[in-house]
Amino acid sequence: MNFFQTIFNYIRETYTDRLFYFPSNIRISLLIILFCVIAVLELYLYISFRRAQQIKKKRDEAKWKEYIDNMLANLVIFDESDSTEEIVDHFYPKMSKLPLRNPIVNQVLTAEILTYHKNFTGKIQEVLSILYRRLNLDKQSKKKINNKNWEVKIEGIREANEMRIKEMAGEIIKYTDDENGLLRMEAQAAYIKLSEQYPFRFLDRAQERILDWHQVVLFEIITKNKQLVIPSFSHWLRSPNDTVVMLCLKLIDHFMQFDASQEVQRLLKHHNPKVVKKSVEIIGKLELADAEKHMFEVYFDQPEEIKLEILNSLGKISSGNYNEFLSSRIYSSDPKIKKEALYAIKRNPAYGEAKLREIYKQTTLENQALIKHVLDHRIKQ
Amino acid sequence: MSKILIAEDEVLMLKALEFKLKKDGYQVDVAADGRQAMEKVKSNTYDLILTDIMMPFVGGMEILSYIKNDPIKKSTPVLLISAVGLENVVLEGFHLGADDFIYKPFNLNELSVRIKRYIKQNVF
Repeated sequence: MNFFQTIFNYIRETYTDRLFYFPSNIRISLLIILFCVIAVLELYLYISFRRAQQIKKKRDEAKWKEYIDNMLANLVIFDESDSTEEIVDHFYPKMSKLPLRNPIVNQVLTAEILTYHKNFTGKIQEVLSILYRRLNLDKQSKKKINNKNWEVKIEGIREANEMRIKEMAGEIIKYTDDENGLLRMEAQAAYIKLSEQYPFRFLDRAQERILDWHQVVLFEIITKNKQLVIPSFSHWLRSPNDTVVMLCLKLIDHFMQFDASQEVQRLLKHHNPKVVKKSVEIIGKLELADAEKHMFEVYFDQPEEIKLEILNSLGKISSGNYNEFLSSRIYSSDPKIKKEALYAIKRNPAYGEAKLREIYKQTTLENQALIKHVLDHRIKQ
Repeated sequence: MSKILIAEDEVLMLKALEFKLKKDGYQVDVAADGRQAMEKVKSNTYDLILTDIMMPFVGGMEILSYIKNDPIKKSTPVLLISAVGLENVVLEGFHLGADDFIYKPFNLNELSVRIKRYIKQNVF
């Protein structure tokens, strides 16, 4: 004990009585040491306080989670025959007694309701939607959507989307063209599901890119949502945003929208080769015979990839008007073009193979080998 | 009383399924992860097993594979729960001997009816 007492007294005296007798450099060093020691102690205190806070938060979360889980699990004791209102009336008084002003309780209850809503269908979903509103949790979601922090905004959008709070569509649309890609994607996906009258309005104002993989997500949402009224996507084919055009082309292709044929043909002269290729693909799939001449017109200005697609589409249409053109392609220096043209000729069920045999008689040995290959039914294209 | 094992890592789902099946009159055993489920499967006999596909430590497919390769337990109906509706996952499950697939989100009453049917089939 005496040892520690001696050290303590020495330090105290150093900083009080003796401090002014030291040379200035030692004095400065001593003050720096004192400052560092105080800073480290404060830091330790702060860390300990934060840890204690986090432990308490986790404990509270676990406690409330268990309580809320048990409360919600009771939802399953009701039968489908019980009326929704009856079930809501049973649960609402209990839930409204929860201290919802406590952010932990609010957060846990919201998360648990969302989990239930996501995993179960039927009456449980209906009951949870009503409870969510009655407990004013929808207002919390709205607050989150209007928060400054983009991560919180996304959280709010997800909640509104999962709980199908349709009146939030108006709040969400403003983020469908946000600079932040993640927020933009979340908002677009939610807007399609929530907007009742104009679920595709966001395409009118989309200036930011819709990334390829997000196009896949939107495509899935649009094509799998049975309640969605599908518009004519040709409406957006003049959009200055190429990614909007691409998404719409994919949807025109999926929904086989013949009314878009004129607009699709116009896109054969689009500046973006991806758009041109997709348009050619659609023309072939929809077998738009009117578009043959337009494809022929642009053929020679296209890169190989699009040329192949044009030949493929001409084969699918098989009107016979461009047989001579297809036949002439076998003298191309590009073997891929030759092969595609031969397959295009073969596609005509009435005279395709006969035409190939006719060409066979008049062409080079190399082309003959290729024709044999194309005519071989065991080989798939 | 028929005995059912529920293996599901989502606590809320596990609790809901447990409540529902107990309410339906079954004796219910629960496992919160794949390892626990596997231990219970090895040491007990069940009339039906309801398992999630994706669980920590041991997946639902492994549990299914173990049951269907065990000469004594292989007649136990196994119902797989999954949020993934991928064709290859479903096919793999059926190849391994799964009796049915339940996709999330699902209707608890529909699940209840399916379980009743499988247990009835297994008894007679």
